[in-house]
Amino acid sequence: MSKFIWAWTWFALLLALDIAIPWFVLTRVERVNGAFLFWTVWVAVAIISVFVIFLKWSEMEQ
Amino acid sequence: MSTTFWVWFGIAVYIAVGVGIAIMARRQLGAGVSEFFLANRRVGGFVSALTYSATTYSAFMMVGLAGLTYVSGVGALGFELTYLCGMFMMVFFLPRFWLVGRKYGYISPMELLSDRYQSKWVGATAAILALVFLVPYTAVQFIGVGYLMNGISQGTIPVVVGMIIAALCTIAWSNIAGLRSVAWTDAFQALVMVVTSAAVLGVVVASLGGFSSFFGKLESASPGLLTVPTAKGAFSINMFIGLALPWLFFLISNPQVSQRLFIPKSVTAMKQMLGGFLVFGFIYTLISVLWGFSATLLVPGLEKADLATPTLLTLPIIPMGLAIVVMIGITAAAISTIDSILLTLSSVWARDIHKGLINPKISEAGELRVGQWVIPIMTIIAFIFAWWAAGKTGLAFMIAPLSSAASAGLLMAVPAIFGAFFWKRATAPGAIVSCIVGAVVVLLFQVTGWKPLGWWPGTWGFIVCVILFVGVSLSTKPPREKAEEFMDYLQKKLKEGKFI
Repeated sequence: MSKFIWAWTWFALLLALDIAIPWFVLTRVERVNGAFLFWTVWVAVAIISVFVIFLKWSEMEQ
Repeated sequence: MSTTFWVWFGIAVYIAVGVGIAIMARRQLGAGVSEFFLANRRVGGFVSALTYSATTYSAFMMVGLAGLTYVSGVGALGFELTYLCGMFMMVFFLPRFWLVGRKYGYISPMELLSDRYQSKWVGATAAILALVFLVPYTAVQFIGVGYLMNGISQGTIPVVVGMIIAALCTIAWSNIAGLRSVAWTDAFQALVMVVTSAAVLGVVVASLGGFSSFFGKLESASPGLLTVPTAKGAFSINMFIGLALPWLFFLISNPQVSQRLFIPKSVTAMKQMLGGFLVFGFIYTLISVLWGFSATLLVPGLEKADLATPTLLTLPIIPMGLAIVVMIGITAAAISTIDSILLTLSSVWARDIHKGLINPKISEAGELRVGQWVIPIMTIIAFIFAWWAAGKTGLAFMIAPLSSAASAGLLMAVPAIFGAFFWKRATAPGAIVSCIVGAVVVLLFQVTGWKPLGWWPGTWGFIVCVILFVGVSLSTKPPREKAEEFMDYLQKKLKEGKFI
């Protein structure tokens, strides 16, 4: 699979977790370490993924 | 001296610094449309990151998102962080926009669509979409400033006066040096936004005994707000998708931010812009949501949730000086968004509608003059909308849902943008029909309040839009030559820069 397809697949997985975990796994957890903590960690993972990809970009002639 | 005096003093200092920065930016202003609207595509990474942040984050955050958190709990965090997760798509779109912007000299994202689909009508349709749906979004910013100044001054500054101040600053800073003045004032304002909001949150959390005690109190006072759906039924999956879907594609659907993808001066500046924005966004979102939660503890039972921030700022635990500085920070967030929107709309009108359809032979100077006239006209239209909406109550007229509703309309351009970069078979009729019908569906559902199956207007509009885009494209003739030249160029350059 190309990097392009890998990246889209990873993004789709992140979006699936965005719904699945808070509404189906943590829906009865009325604490800060429920949906609040999940979303904070989840987006941190997404941000790190973006850094991993763009840090490989190289300068080019214009 | 009275609170009102100090509020006016703070506003005066803010305006003076902003005007000073804008005038400094004017000294660097060259000639031409690309210079005025894109700072000649020579913006460094630091300023690019801050102008992108200030354009994206507005009064919506510390007023609207805080209000939504106040009334609907942790779902508001998920909704806003879904937008930030959507920034993952920048790894695909940022290099693509940037590369074709340089190659073909595009001024606006709509011009890109016109050229790629070989039809002026595609750009004009997307331009009209932006002109219509960015009005409520701009109006929301005016409302935010109005509420805030009114709240902090304990009612002595009327809401409408706050809105007038925002409107005048906007017109001035957009016109003084185009994107240069907007980007420089944005950079200043982004720093003010994040520093002041972090400071005031620190004061509030400290007054509640620190983070551990703050979270403990939240769990015992409002446990229902820490889960989705909330105890009161807010943030069902349908509500979440309805609000978050337009937000997810905000980075390409909103032209005031996608136009920013043309401006970094190099790949390094592009990386700094993206990285800087992600860090800024993460911090600012957490601050805004925690601020909303602190309002649930300190000022429970407010009738209008959007007043949570102004009310919180008037509490005795917050020193008056800090409250005024925070008010300036939120005002800065609003104005930095409005001036960017208006500058983009002026370029869109001048390039994609006036030059594209009305007067193709217009000179560059004439095009610039037309664009500069659009700024005050659009400001007045948005101001009138804000005045009307500020008097209304209910979820639909809260800042966050109103902002998301505006983006639901802009979402209808997303399939056409995807098609431009990734689908050679995409056609101009497909793009035009999907944008128009999708927008009509969104407007119709928003006006009537109709939600079949409980799905929100943006969700229905997007489904209809995607089906029409694919269906009509497959049954019409694509601009093959342009599509191949456009995508072949991108493929070659993407490989060269190690983009994906």
